[in-house]
Amino acid sequence: MNQHTPQGNNVVTQSLTQIGNCGLFLLTLLAAIPRSFRYVRETIRQLWFVGAMSLTIIMVCGLFVGMVLMLQLYHVLSIFGGTSASGMVVALSVYRELGPVVTALLFAGRAGTAITAEIGLMRATDQISAMEMMAVDPIAYVGTPRFLAGLIAMPLLCCVFCAMAVFGGHLVGVTWLGIDNGTFWSNMTAQVDVRTDIVNGVLLKSLAFGAVVSLIAVFQGFTTPPTSEGVAYATTRTVVASSIAILALDFVLTAFLM
Amino acid sequence: MSQPRSSYAVGTGLFIVLGFAALAYLATQTSSVANVHQGDSYTLDTQFTNIGQLKERAPVKIAGVRVGQVQSITLAPGREVADVKLSIDKSYNKIPQDSVATIFTSGLLGDQYVGIQYGSAKQVVAAGGALARTKSTEPLEEMLGKFFGAGNVVDNVGGSYAVKADFTNVGSLSVGAPVKMAGVVIGSVQSVHADPVKLNAQVVLAIDKRYNTIPDDSAAAVFTSGLIGTQYVAIQPGGSPDMLKDGDEMILTQSAMQLEDLIGKFLVNGSSTDKKDAGDGKSDTPAGKH
Repeated sequence: MNQHTPQGNNVVTQSLTQIGNCGLFLLTLLAAIPRSFRYVRETIRQLWFVGAMSLTIIMVCGLFVGMVLMLQLYHVLSIFGGTSASGMVVALSVYRELGPVVTALLFAGRAGTAITAEIGLMRATDQISAMEMMAVDPIAYVGTPRFLAGLIAMPLLCCVFCAMAVFGGHLVGVTWLGIDNGTFWSNMTAQVDVRTDIVNGVLLKSLAFGAVVSLIAVFQGFTTPPTSEGVAYATTRTVVASSIAILALDFVLTAFLM
Repeated sequence: MSQPRSSYAVGTGLFIVLGFAALAYLATQTSSVANVHQGDSYTLDTQFTNIGQLKERAPVKIAGVRVGQVQSITLAPGREVADVKLSIDKSYNKIPQDSVATIFTSGLLGDQYVGIQYGSAKQVVAAGGALARTKSTEPLEEMLGKFFGAGNVVDNVGGSYAVKADFTNVGSLSVGAPVKMAGVVIGSVQSVHADPVKLNAQVVLAIDKRYNTIPDDSAAAVFTSGLIGTQYVAIQPGGSPDMLKDGDEMILTQSAMQLEDLIGKFLVNGSSTDKKDAGDGKSDTPAGKH
């Protein structure tokens, strides 16, 4: 937790040190999982905060992503007379890419920043030191519950996002643009595959993104300089690092899973 | 102290339930569980000379109803045929031995699947047996290739000369569309406008100066590149000793083929030959009565 010692002024060396420290921090978090079992209520409270409280933004964004995707696809596909496939394309693009990625980006902005700021302020106000004084392991009590909560919440949020996007696509496509209801669903069910699209696309990707975003958020919180400036900087860095990590990891995962 | 905690627990529980409900919705309502779930099934061996775009796990259909899927596709050792193993649901085990397995395409641009058409034999093909009679995929590309040409646009260099051509219908030919000879771009369409007197479309073609030895009895035709591609003017050279010059008019023209007309004719012809026997049988009866 105090491994944040930038060695040298080189940007490359600094980033590599950050990544290395982040990896070591992940091992610390994982090793603290057995000790965090006695704080299971804290994990549930975090799950409520990062998961249940994010539902509104996730549902609204999912609805609009589905609606705008359907609107765009309808106009493009009508050139080729293929509007009946638009429901299927909405479902596939949301399940495979947009759902996990957009959910993870929103999650980083909504929950990741809050985690970083909270832990950073705990450090700035010496609450972490106070816990150590009382023989409470701060990693097991503060770090691991937030990490686990993010890990559990992301796939669930992503499922809600995808369901809302399909609903939004249905709303625009069937109710507004007049695609046949039966065609919409039958084309979708014919092409969407449970294993490649829902398990590999929705669940696996969002699980990986959830792990990356919560790891970065908790790590930035624990390693930030305990000053108000440091907290502000760490919060920004959580969003930047999470976004880059999500999009880069998305490419790697797509390349391996497809 | 316990009051806020229990409200967290209730909210979290609701969130988890909602998440799993959404997952169940995705898995059951928007995807076909049948694609993954396979009940008891048996395998049939078939051999095709060309499987086209057929893939593993493609559906197997009888009368359009899904009865199984393609289990594996391998090349038969030492021969130029594809071994295709079909996995068919146990409840459809009464397939006659002389049934024909055909590779169909769903729609014009859709996925390919294996369709089984029942024969009339009394014997039923056994589990693990083979369907000897197969029909391979129709090479749509070859069929269409005879109708349409295709090529790439090149830059217009070295100046050009203008040639006029009248068409009764230019379809969706637009200014700037390529002019091709033997599939190679030799110029572009300079203008398209309707003739107010002759009531047809007057097209001015700008042809590259390098191609100045085109016979003046050559024919110009409006073609479509590919099935849904853009339209272009194709020039088919004639045999006259005189060459086309700037300002000349091409007499022989062929208007744009309307895809709808073409397919309409094709379908009408196809079905009339298919049903010739049945049609003759029906028309004979009233003729006999009269």
